[in-house]
Amino acid sequence: MPFPTLRTWFEKKPSVEPPRKDRSHLRVGIAKVLNVWSTHQFWVGFLKELGISSENIVFSSDTSEEQGREFGKGRGTVDCCYPVKCISGHYGELVFGQKRNINILLSPMIHSLPSILHGHVVDTVTCTRVMAGPESIKAGFLKESDIFAENKILYASPFVSLGDRHMVTQQLFTSLKNIFDLDMEETARAVKAGFDALDNFTAKARQQSRDILTWCAENGKPCILVLARPYHMDPGIGHEIEGELQAHGYPILWLQYLPGDDDLVNWLFEEDVKTGRIKSPFDISDVWTSSYSSNTNEIMWGAKFATRCPWITCVVRLSSYECGMDQPTYTPAQKIVEATGTLYFKFGDLDSTKPGGGIKIRVETIVHYLSKYSAEIIQRKLNCLSPDCPLVGARRSDPAVST
Amino acid sequence: MAQLTTIGQLPLNQPPVHHYTAYRPRPFKREEREKVTILYGGLTWKHERLVQGAMHNMKYNAEPLPNIARDDLDAGKELIDVGACCPTIFTTGSLVNFLKKEVAASSKEEVANKYVFLTAGACGPCRFGQYHESYSMALDGLGLRDFRMFLLAQDELDQGPSGGGGLEINLPLSLGLIWGILFGDLLTDLEYMTRPYEVNPGQTDKVLQASVEYLYGVFRERPDHGAKYGTLAWHLLTNYFTRALREVRKMWDAIEVDRVRVKAKVKITGEFWLQTHEGERNYNIKRWLEQEDAEVVAPPVAVWLHYLLHPTIRKLEHRHSTSKHPRIEEALLHALERIYRWTYNRFRNALAGLPNELPDQEELRELAEPFYHFELRGGEGHMLIGKALHAYHHKKAHMICELSPYSCMPNTMSIGSMANVIGKYPDLLYAPIEVKGDSEVHALSRCQMILTEAKRRAQDQFDEVLKKTGLSAEKIRKYEERHPEVRRATYKVPHRGYSGTAANYVIHLAEDRGLARA
Ligand code: SF4
Ligand code: SF4
Repeated sequence: MPFPTLRTWFEKKPSVEPPRKDRSHLRVGIAKVLNVWSTHQFWVGFLKELGISSENIVFSSDTSEEQGREFGKGRGTVDCCYPVKCISGHYGELVFGQKRNINILLSPMIHSLPSILHGHVVDTVTCTRVMAGPESIKAGFLKESDIFAENKILYASPFVSLGDRHMVTQQLFTSLKNIFDLDMEETARAVKAGFDALDNFTAKARQQSRDILTWCAENGKPCILVLARPYHMDPGIGHEIEGELQAHGYPILWLQYLPGDDDLVNWLFEEDVKTGRIKSPFDISDVWTSSYSSNTNEIMWGAKFATRCPWITCVVRLSSYECGMDQPTYTPAQKIVEATGTLYFKFGDLDSTKPGGGIKIRVETIVHYLSKYSAEIIQRKLNCLSPDCPLVGARRSDPAVST
Repeated sequence: MAQLTTIGQLPLNQPPVHHYTAYRPRPFKREEREKVTILYGGLTWKHERLVQGAMHNMKYNAEPLPNIARDDLDAGKELIDVGACCPTIFTTGSLVNFLKKEVAASSKEEVANKYVFLTAGACGPCRFGQYHESYSMALDGLGLRDFRMFLLAQDELDQGPSGGGGLEINLPLSLGLIWGILFGDLLTDLEYMTRPYEVNPGQTDKVLQASVEYLYGVFRERPDHGAKYGTLAWHLLTNYFTRALREVRKMWDAIEVDRVRVKAKVKITGEFWLQTHEGERNYNIKRWLEQEDAEVVAPPVAVWLHYLLHPTIRKLEHRHSTSKHPRIEEALLHALERIYRWTYNRFRNALAGLPNELPDQEELRELAEPFYHFELRGGEGHMLIGKALHAYHHKKAHMICELSPYSCMPNTMSIGSMANVIGKYPDLLYAPIEVKGDSEVHALSRCQMILTEAKRRAQDQFDEVLKKTGLSAEKIRKYEERHPEVRRATYKVPHRGYSGTAANYVIHLAEDRGLARA
């Protein structure tokens, strides 16, 4: 800590804002893994506000076996679920695989997450592996020699509670001040910009989901909900199973971006709130009492949403091999979904290799069931809800079912 | 396109929807207390017996579940979703097998009315936080949804009456449980530091058994000092417990030990349940190590409790706090942490200072910091790395044996980070053992490889000390004959900078007791 000299002690405080520090030369690589998939907009907004241009913010590519082979080989330190194991390849790609080298490798240890269920659940923390993954992976780049330093890269892994906004400025300031030469005020500004960007993005994505549901409601068409962790959106982790279903003409919703508008959730959960089963539409204590983990909580809420929402006639559950967080949720999630006869299919034990043939056969089965039973499922679920569906606008009391 | 005709009401032929509902125990009422037995488990038989004393003292019927057996693995696997970490499977299986036996002897209804299960819970992203979800799934599978299970939050000493008043988690109960656990730790330390050196085989186990029974009585007869601050003050200040420990010390006085036996000292770390467990479910590894000529440093539960209440570590727990006086709360927490350590040391001192000191949590944090952030939650967090480095720097053990359950989320992460630690400290002997429940030979042979090197180091150290002091085994024996007190199990050998007991003993005799000059 610099000791204040007399000169600095008596120095006049600047009356105008100090000039923005020039960070245009910095190139930041972000490992596109784990919960960066649901918070990437925050990081982009944060860095841009610090003066780092979009071209200088580089994300690693989608996960692939080739990436792991080329850049991550020999750097793994432990055997665990693939979403964590694959991070070595992402780090390696950022260090060795860039045309223009990066100066900083950013891989946050995300401790808690913003969540639509915030305030309705005990906590919104991440899986212990999501938090600690970077510590374990970095070991593979430091154990023999400091690969980051050898490549003139600063490794930055801030511990950050994105679900607890009041803590984020202090956390990022403490961990990144030396890396980006930050002061507190600009950190606060950048954090705000980050959250604004994230909130905007999330709101838009939720609106898109609502538009899909509205279209389904107006046309009496079914859609599919993917019940998975955000990083299953990574083609190398989720193996694009939802893409194959979409190719058959079924719109896809991801639970992370389900619409949470009052009118809609009040309609779906009206009966549950009225009977005292839950306190609010976002309350999941009726189905899951240990509501600490953000992604798990949302999976449970997504399952509840799906079982009630008429046009979600099928839920596809994706889960990675050896996922300890998903393990206790398999049966409850399935039971929640199937309570109204909604179709439920699970693709478990996903690993690095895409089980191509197996997926194809199962996708065909799902499509068969969807075409055969969707109309009946929609009708059955509509029967359980009040006629005032907020999705169908003027034709509120007259939604249609396509056969 | 068909138009909807029936919205908002179920058509006649549509069965009503029954939404899935999570398990909720029916109330355990105050008036049932005398007829109901509280089941619990997950610790060693010593801890469990002392905890039972505290529960009996509060007039609860309480019984630990039988120690986990081999077939509990299958029973657990059968009833919960595939892929659970092994502590979840074992503990579920143990409960399942117990209940099955009881049902066979009576009926489901009788079992559901006769027993309730109390389990630790409500703390965070994994560890225990979700155990009860598996238990409830198993209860469903057994057709015992009526059976009652309650969670004991580890960070609230006064949770009031839960679910009907049959079980009241108040200060006297919580303090009794915690004191019981601390005493279990103290005895465990004595046990492991004595048994490898006992002259009369089996004597340590006998004295241990007698000590546990004696202390069980001490807990059962604990005087009542009210439900609030009176009882807190009494527990902290009374000499009721220290007096009892001094009695225990006298029992251990009778054990003769031979500390010149050279043993590799092996510190056990790992996932909480697995490291604490003594039995088949961690391949009986502590006993196995002793048979392989090692002295085990067993992991006390007290370190985990210390971690839970440490103010620096707890900061995150307060992120939702709406307290008007956060500073006062912080100060209180600091005071509490100091009182905790002071209390533990008081108990240690009553046992001649023999049990190991609690490591300084700040130091553990600092040691682990370059490798593992202290706020990373789940499992033992940064402590696994902190403890390994603590033992290494302070020369408290020759080797670390980390017990990691297969598919444990946090443990895999700290084992990964240990690669970095080993890179920086290549001479740190570290054996991570993955426990699957069925790969015993493989796991033990892995440990054996590192142990061979640890034993070599222990022998080298001992030889070095003999050389340095000019002592010989014969000279030591003669001295011991003249001073039999040094061969008592309760004789405290100070730590003189060596990892091994034998080396410290020799240097102590040579320098502190003047044998080198003799
Ligand atoms: S939630 Fe599951 S898949 Fe994700 S990091 Fe944790 S254990 Fe791995
Ligand atoms: S710490 Fe590991 S073994 Fe223990 S409950 Fe958590 S995941 Fe399971």
